[in-house]
Parts: sequence; structure tokens; C-alpha cells
Amino acid sequence: MSAPLKPILLVEDNPLDLELTLSAFEKCKLGNDVTVARDGAEALDYLFLEEERPLHEMPVVIILDIKLPKLDGLEVLEKIRQHPKTRYIPVVMLTSSREEEDLVRSYKLGVNAFVVKPVGYKEFFAAIYELGMFWGVFNEPPPGFRKRG
Amino acid sequence: MTQPDSFPAVDLSNCAREPIRIPGSIQPHGVLLAFGAADGRLRQVSANLADVFGITPEEALGKPVGQLLENTPLSSQIEDLRQVRAGPPKKFPKLSLPSGKSYQLLAHRSGEVVVVELEECPPAATPSPDIHALLQDSLDRLRAASAEELDAVAAQEVRRITGFDRVLIYRFDEEWNGMVIAEDRNEHLPSYLDLRFPASDIPEQARELYRINRLRLIPDAAYQPVPLVPPLDPETGKALDLSFSVLRSVSPIHLEYMRNMGIPASMSFSVIQGERLWGLISCHNHVPAVVPFGIRTACDLFSQVYAVQIESRERSADAHRRLKLKQCEARLLAAMAGRENYLAALAEQGRDFLALADAQGAAIIADDQLHLVGRTPKEEIVRDLAQWLREQGKEEVFATDRLADLWPQAKDIADSASGVLAVSISSLHPSFVIWFRPEVVQTVKWGGDPRKPVEPEAKTLHPRKSFEMWKEVVHLRSRPWQPSEIDAARDLRQSIVGIVLRQAEELAELSKELERSNKELASFSYSVSHDLRAPFRHIVGYSELLRDMEKEHFSPAGQRYLDIIIESALSAGELVDSLLHFAQMGRATLNRRQVDMNTLLCEVIAGLESETAGRQIVWRIADLPPVEGDAVMLRMVLQNLVSNALKYSRQRHPAVIEIGAEKKEPGMITYFVRDNGIGFDMAYVDKLFGVFQRLHRAEEYEGIGIGLANVRRVAERHGGRAWAEGEPGKGASFYVSLPVTEP
Repeated sequence: MSAPLKPILLVEDNPLDLELTLSAFEKCKLGNDVTVARDGAEALDYLFLEEERPLHEMPVVIILDIKLPKLDGLEVLEKIRQHPKTRYIPVVMLTSSREEEDLVRSYKLGVNAFVVKPVGYKEFFAAIYELGMFWGVFNEPPPGFRKRG
Repeated sequence: MTQPDSFPAVDLSNCAREPIRIPGSIQPHGVLLAFGAADGRLRQVSANLADVFGITPEEALGKPVGQLLENTPLSSQIEDLRQVRAGPPKKFPKLSLPSGKSYQLLAHRSGEVVVVELEECPPAATPSPDIHALLQDSLDRLRAASAEELDAVAAQEVRRITGFDRVLIYRFDEEWNGMVIAEDRNEHLPSYLDLRFPASDIPEQARELYRINRLRLIPDAAYQPVPLVPPLDPETGKALDLSFSVLRSVSPIHLEYMRNMGIPASMSFSVIQGERLWGLISCHNHVPAVVPFGIRTACDLFSQVYAVQIESRERSADAHRRLKLKQCEARLLAAMAGRENYLAALAEQGRDFLALADAQGAAIIADDQLHLVGRTPKEEIVRDLAQWLREQGKEEVFATDRLADLWPQAKDIADSASGVLAVSISSLHPSFVIWFRPEVVQTVKWGGDPRKPVEPEAKTLHPRKSFEMWKEVVHLRSRPWQPSEIDAARDLRQSIVGIVLRQAEELAELSKELERSNKELASFSYSVSHDLRAPFRHIVGYSELLRDMEKEHFSPAGQRYLDIIIESALSAGELVDSLLHFAQMGRATLNRRQVDMNTLLCEVIAGLESETAGRQIVWRIADLPPVEGDAVMLRMVLQNLVSNALKYSRQRHPAVIEIGAEKKEPGMITYFVRDNGIGFDMAYVDKLFGVFQRLHRAEEYEGIGIGLANVRRVAERHGGRAWAEGEPGKGASFYVSLPVTEP
């Protein structure tokens, strides 16, 4: 019996995109829970406010939209990379468009992957599936983040 | 300003050094006493004291002045004498002697002494004229005179008042040379009208004395000076300052000058304008002459009124000139205003432009333009002149009527540019507006040869003996520039500089505006790229979800409609993507480096395998020289051109695609892609490179019509261009030229 899988943190403000993404995750049949934050501030609250949240309960991957209310995705990424508790959590930008400026800034801030949401549903589904499989299942997290069991 | 050429540097320097204010002697037509203002005791007297008072200087010196004047009508006025002020002497009652001689008594203060002069009166044989009525009449005539006849009337009236043989109106020029501008005379003395006299004739210290004391009087140039006794004031040890003395003995050089001119008696009045010595009214007589105090006073008053008349004449002439120049300037400004090339606009106003400085020619020279108007030197010489002007320093305005003296090259352009008036209109570039005046060969009549104002004789210098007219022909001179013209040029410069500044400000404003709208555009396209794509994604995503979920429930028509919705949303998304890509290419920074075009082409062709597979294609590929540019963008250019060539030659068997490069224009390299496809009508060539412009129906050839717009944008961003040639049914050639940077 394995311990519960660490959750995936999905930060997405657009309800339609959120529903599409969640249904894609559902189709992937990933074991990980998906925690949703609807804006940048909520994402940071989840990561930092509950002091006692143990390391192993931290998300296995954070999937960030760039255009978000309050704090945008790049600001959230910057905070994540500054804090020792979250520094090593993989972050994937999942965004509407391949703006060169966004791409450059994301990589400068230490993003792990930059994925442009495909227009076609099949492609979108494929992208989410690969994301979930790679970061949620195959990727080996840094020591201390290892799931128990 | 310099003196006429080859003018001797050594002039009557003796004269310039003469102690004219403290000669230590007086003329013999009177007696001088100097007593301490405080104690009233005599300190110095003229050696001829006995002529009037019958006692020797030795007997009088040190005694109270009251004692000397005892038993004269003046004995009661000793106190008034002690109170006189410095400056022109004050008149006191006459003193008549038993011998029948009478003396006019004048007194003024000089330092701490009172100078009393007793000037011998002319024999009262003829009743003296009513000087007051005469003066009134003369002044009336002067006031009635027109501007042109003013000077001649002044000469006439002064001669009428004084009865002298010749009266000259002598005017100083900028260099203190004198010129006789009006004259009234009788047959006793020759005419000096229009003659010039060199500045050395009246040296600076004399001019300064003439400025503060308006009167000089020499009744007889052959006089023997009478020394003062003792020579120096015994209390102060200084010589007596006779600046305001009427009996003051003049320089022996001046006396010799008068004798050489043949005039035993002279009297002159200064004409002062403001603080400046404008000229002299000079009266000459062929025999010695004594002039009573009253007549002198009348002449002095007359000369002051004359000075006022001259000033108002010059002012009104100047005001009139300036008004005309201002109107001229206003018309020029109106012509320049609102024209982007205001200098060309200025040059087009030839007549006013020249009139502004009363010039025969003018030039405007600015960094990238040169305009010549009227009579000017050749273009190259004007450029040389501008360069020379620039080397002269940072003066805003430069004016000369003798350019060749300063810039020897100008000797060759004397017929157009002996005189130059230039204003600098930029502190950064050698930019000037220049007016030209041609040479005016003038004959100047000098009173004697100005180059020989002195005749060397033995040990001392003597003034020249000949006042015969001496003519000098002056070359390489233009008419001099008037102050009003120089001011007008300066004003025009100010206006031009104003226009330049305003244009610079407008440009700065415009670029600020552009920058802002660029920023707006960038943020607009950023928002679009994020927000516009989302709805298409949702349409496609949810339609596909719907189709998967409800597959069996759809009729075939419903199924088709759903597919159309999905297709349309997909292609709309693609349009948005292309448009954003196109916008990005305009904004993205160029990552320039050396690009191997052969490698790039190979990669592009390899990437198009899906389009070439199964087709019969003849590739004619020449060696492509490398170029400096953004590899990603250049790849896109090749990708578009080659893919187009493949697409539009689809029906050819075989399709022939030729790719090469040529050097047609200097500094540029032109790449081309040619096909034997369906070609196009040159009438539509301009539409080819537009965004979303297509020459074929969508169902014939796929694509959205943005590829060539991208090609052109990339070419232009690299400083090059893109164009095409074609013929329907025969094929098309596409060209992209890019600048080459020489290693």
C-alpha cells in the first residue's frame, strides 16, 4: 500500500480553461490530487501560509498560467524560487501564447518548462497528459520531497 | 576697424603726447590770475600781468586777490568769484582801463584754485550787432532746414554770426578720420568741401578735451605764448589745469598746422551727440580775429541746437530704415513659417532676402543644402568662405566691407563679395546665412596725403605743409554695412534659430508620441495574444468534448456542422497566431550574426519534405554567400519563399526551382527564388506583400496570405527590401536584398 501521492497545484483563473484542464487530467487517470488556486495570491497562500504544511505535502509540480489576477504567473514563480521551502518544486508555465518576452523572463526566473496551450482539444489533452505523466509520475523529486512508503 | 591701408603707424605722436591741458602758458590776448579758493591769495599769474594791473607778478603773488582788484568794478564781487564752479567759465562785468582798452572778465574753478581770465575785447568802434536777434534768426533757419540742407545751413548761419571767412562742418567717421561735409566761405580761403583728414590730425587726447570743453579759440596763430609765473602752483607743486580756460595756449604743432593751412585765426565748437564727439564746427579767418564772448556763446548755443537737429535727423532716418527692414523681415518669416525646409523658403524670397541687408547677393549654407541668390561667388568658394567664417570663432554676426584684407582669397571675388555680412545659424554645423556686396571703387579726397601727415625735419616732427587735395583710389571695398542692416541680419538669425528650435521640439514631441503609441501597440498585442486565443481554444475544446460524448446522437448534418465549427475556430486561431507572429517580428530585437545561407537553405528544404515527396522537382541551387542577420528570421524568409515556389508550381512536371544570389547594387546582396509555376499578373504585384492579401481563391491554394508580408518585414528590418516579378502561367521570381557589412 503506497502513501497518497503528492498533489499537483494548478493555478488557473479562466473557468473554461480550468474545466478543460481538469477533464484532461481526469482522462489521464493520474493518481495525484489536483489542487486549484484561482489567482497568484491564492497560490502563494497555499504554499506559504500554512506554516506547518510538511515538505512531503508540497505539490509535486506547480502548473502556472501567466496572465492571472492580482499577482501574475511570473511574480508567483519569482516568489517560489526565492523561498527555500519551494525552491526545488518543478514549475511549468501553461499559457495562452508564446510571447517571446514571457518565455525569456520565465526561463530567467528558473521555470522548468514552458507550454503553450494548443488550440485543438486533442493536442491540449496530449499536452496535459504528458505534463502529468512526466512531472507527476516519472520525475524524481529532490531528497526530502520523496514520498513516503 | 583699421586705418586705410599703408597708413603710417607713427603719426603726430608728439602731438598726442603734448600736455595740452597744462601748457603752462596762455595766449597773449589777455591776462590770467589764479588764486586759492580758500584763502583768496594769488598763487599764479600770467607774466603780462602789468599790462592790465601795472604791477609785476612778483609784486602781486601771495597777496589777496581783493587787493589787486581794489578800485575796480570787481572789488565788490570777490566773494562771487570765489564761489565759481568748475567747467565752462562764468562771465563777470567788463573791466575798462584808462588806456581805452577793455577786458571781459571770466572765471572758473580748476582744482583748488579759481582761474580768472581777463580777455581783451575788440575795439568798440562799430556798434556790436544785436546778437540775441541774430541768433534767434539763425536758429529759426536751422529748424526750417530740410534733412539734406541742414549741414549747409548750419555752416552758413555760423558764418553769419561770426563773420569768419570760412566755416566747415567737419564730421568724424568710425575711425576718427574727419570729412568736411558742408562749408560756407568767401573768396579769402579755398574750399575744403569733401576733403578728408586723417585721424592723426586731431589726436585722441585733443578729441577728449574737445568733448568736455566745446570751445577753442585762437585769434592769431602767430602769437607768442605768455608763461605763467611761477610755472607750478607753489602750494601743490602741480601745473595749472587749463582745460576750460579760454586763453589756454595751444600746442605749437597745432599752430604750425594752422599756419600751413594758411589760417591765422580759428575758432571751433564741438558737436556732441550723447557722449560722443560727432564733429566740429570749424571757423577760419584769413586775418587774425578776436571774437567777443557774446558771439562765442551764441555759436555754442547754435552748435548745441544743431547737434539736437542732427540727432533727430539720424534717428528718423534710422527709424525709417529699420521699419522697412522689419517689414521685410516679417514677410520673410511669413514665407518661412510652416515650411519644413524654411531655408529653401527663405532663398525663394530673393528680393526681400537681399533687401534685408541691402545686398546684391546672398547664400544660405547648411549641412545638407546650399542656396545662392543674386550676385554671389561660385558654390565652392562660398563653401570655403563658410569654412573660413567658422574658423573665425563663435561670433553670431560677422560684418566687413573689406573681406580681402582678412581673407586674401577674396581678392578674386571682389566683384561679388568685397563686403560680407554673415550670421551663424547653428552652433553644431558650419551653417551660415551670408549677404554679399560687390566692390565699389571709390575716390577719396584727402586734405593732403594722409600717408604723410608729418614732414620729418631735423629733430622734431612737423605737420604736413601741403593741404592740396590728394586723391586716393580705394579698391576691394564694398559699401559699409549699416548698424540697422547688421541688426536686421541678427534678428533674422534669431528667428531662424527659433524655427530650428521649434522644429527640434516638434520632432522630440513626435518621437515621444511614437514611443508611446509603440508601447500601447506592444501591450495591445500582448493582451491579444493571451486573450484572443482563449475563446477559440474553448470553442474547439468544448466542441470536441461534445462530439466525443454525444457522437451517436448527432445526425450526419449535425456532425458536419460541428466539424465546420471546429475547423473555423481552428483557422481563426491560426489567423490570430499568424498575425501575432507578424506583429512580433516587427518588435522582436534582431539577433544579428553571420548566417550561412547554404546551411539554412538545406535545413529549410529538408523541412519541406512533406510537400516535395512524390513530386518531380528540378532544383537549381547556386552557392549562397553568407550575410549578417537574424538567423531565425532569415530562415523564415527562405521557408516562405521556397514553400511558395513549391506550392505554386504544383501542376508543373517537372517543377523547376532556382535559388541564387547576385550583387546588383553596392553594399547589398540580393537572394532570389524563382519557379516555373502559375506566376502572377504584375498589376497585382503590390498586393503580394500585403497582410492577408491573396491572389488566388482559398480552395485553390492553402495559406492565409501572411507569408510574404513577413518576408518583406524581415527584409526591411534588416535594412533591405523585398520585391517580385512574375507573369501569369510563366512563373515568378522573388527577391530579397540585404545589406552586407564589409569585413
